[in-house]
Amino acid sequence: MNPETANLLQRRVNELHNLPAMPTVLRSLGECLGANPSDVNLERIVELISYDKSLVAQCLRIANSAMFRRRAEVDSIRSAVMALGVSRIRDIVYSCALPGLLAGSKDGMAPVVFWRHALGTALVSQHLAQRFEIENCEKFYLAGLLHDIGILVNSLLFREEFQRVLQEAEASETPLFEVEARILGFTHCDTGTILAGLWNLPADVSAAIERHHHPMADHPNLEMICTVYLADLLCRLRNLGYGYYEAREFDLAAAAPWRMLQEIHPAAADIDLARFTLELDEHAVSVQELVDSIFTPEKTPA
Amino acid sequence: MAAETLTAQSREAADADLRDPGLVKIRDLIYRISGIYYQDAKFYLLAGRARKRMSAVNSKTFADYFDHLTTRPNRDAEMRNLLNEITIGETYFFRGKPQLEALSKIILPKLMGLKSKQAFKKIRIWSAGCSTGEEPYSLSILLTEEFALKGKDWTFEIVATDLNDNSVCKCREGLYGEYAVRNLSPQRRQKYFSPEGNYLRLKERIRASVKFERLNLQDQSKMLFMKGFDMVFCCNVLIYFDGVAKKRTVEHFFNGLIPGGHFFLGECETLFGIFDQFRLVHFPGATGYLKPAPGEETGGAL
Repeated sequence: MNPETANLLQRRVNELHNLPAMPTVLRSLGECLGANPSDVNLERIVELISYDKSLVAQCLRIANSAMFRRRAEVDSIRSAVMALGVSRIRDIVYSCALPGLLAGSKDGMAPVVFWRHALGTALVSQHLAQRFEIENCEKFYLAGLLHDIGILVNSLLFREEFQRVLQEAEASETPLFEVEARILGFTHCDTGTILAGLWNLPADVSAAIERHHHPMADHPNLEMICTVYLADLLCRLRNLGYGYYEAREFDLAAAAPWRMLQEIHPAAADIDLARFTLELDEHAVSVQELVDSIFTPEKTPA
Repeated sequence: MAAETLTAQSREAADADLRDPGLVKIRDLIYRISGIYYQDAKFYLLAGRARKRMSAVNSKTFADYFDHLTTRPNRDAEMRNLLNEITIGETYFFRGKPQLEALSKIILPKLMGLKSKQAFKKIRIWSAGCSTGEEPYSLSILLTEEFALKGKDWTFEIVATDLNDNSVCKCREGLYGEYAVRNLSPQRRQKYFSPEGNYLRLKERIRASVKFERLNLQDQSKMLFMKGFDMVFCCNVLIYFDGVAKKRTVEHFFNGLIPGGHFFLGECETLFGIFDQFRLVHFPGATGYLKPAPGEETGGAL
């Protein structure tokens, strides 16, 4: 992006005050889960969710859906947390809270498509971080979850142009950011970075948003950037992408981010990418099911 | 291979077979001749197929049948019969959609670009272990359609090989039941098949476009002649080979491909620990292996 476009973009973003605010639950729950897994405060999590009545209703609906249903009916957030475990509750809470940000936009990317890719990337980022034996993988989940928030901005602020980008990307089977750069002169990485600044997101999460298509070897948050880069790409290759065919051949093992990760984490060298993608297929099915169960219209009131 | 599952009862019988020295000798014999190796967990498959042949030649025990295979005058013919029984396949048209999509949308345009300067604009594909022909014929239909659209001056050659005589004969007949064509669109069904009683006969044009040959992938001297292919498909065949035979076979495929050519395995197969000169490449929903062209730079920021 040239400086002129950057200025223009910043001005446009500043002029329009209808950028979504960061959902409160995202910050508070993020902080709560950021602690060591052993000292996650269940009571606090229950309390945080309870502030938002519609969130409570949605969580209960999903906890009682066919996908998660246990023996007994789940009738409180506390029992939902107990029955499903903290990480599943986290997936559900974020899935209920975040796609709402897209609700105001009729055009742009369909919330279900956006969300499937976001949640998929979050889970794969975290999974990769675990495989690299990185402590505190929760950050990687968050970075994966938010890496494409620029798409929210583009959908809301640049409706017509972005609609054209989506159509063109689908028709030409080209990665989204390439078409954005051509048609808009900037990408969702640029607008995402601006939103990350407004939301005061942590530096490493913001770095992943900014650079997940263009990793830089000397970046201080290289680990996070490369992990999200890889998770994003794997999701796009295994049915958790933007809902259209990207006609590209990828040699992941030769890609610079993968080689950089292997330098940082020797455990990465043991990952068999062929098998990893096969494992991911199973993962993709459960992400699809979760997202579908959230976006399926309620049949009975909770 | 036909789906054959184990019940608790048959598992006991399978354990008994595993201890039968006659069957162990048959397994080792098959391995020496074809490289097909039945691991202990797959022993019941071998036992079932050997029994079919045993009842045909009126042999009561595995030890006696081993004599049929080694000392009787018609031993070579019987070995051939047993191998035919073992390698009976089960497949259908346009199985492995992501693979075929990668072929038509990504690999073919790339190959056509690479070879556009050549005098003979021709794509050569080898379907190794073609079973009853569904795979090579699907490839033929696909290439026929692609070239009709964007490669009028291009031709293709598909060589399909199998160890099984009956399969090769069946391929040439081009007669298929409903199961084989269940994935075909009504348009393709109508365009490429004519009904014949309860069956569908593939039209002459497609049948004539595939060259069928009987070939044992373990026949070292014959394998040396398989050269100059742009793509090799070998789906669900290597699983019956042991490590050494697998490596040897894959090495032949590698040598048989042009630089820049692609190798495809079955959906759940990988080359992990078998052969490392191919590069693993990802396509949407599918993985393949690339024989790198000398000095070819792959990877990079995506």
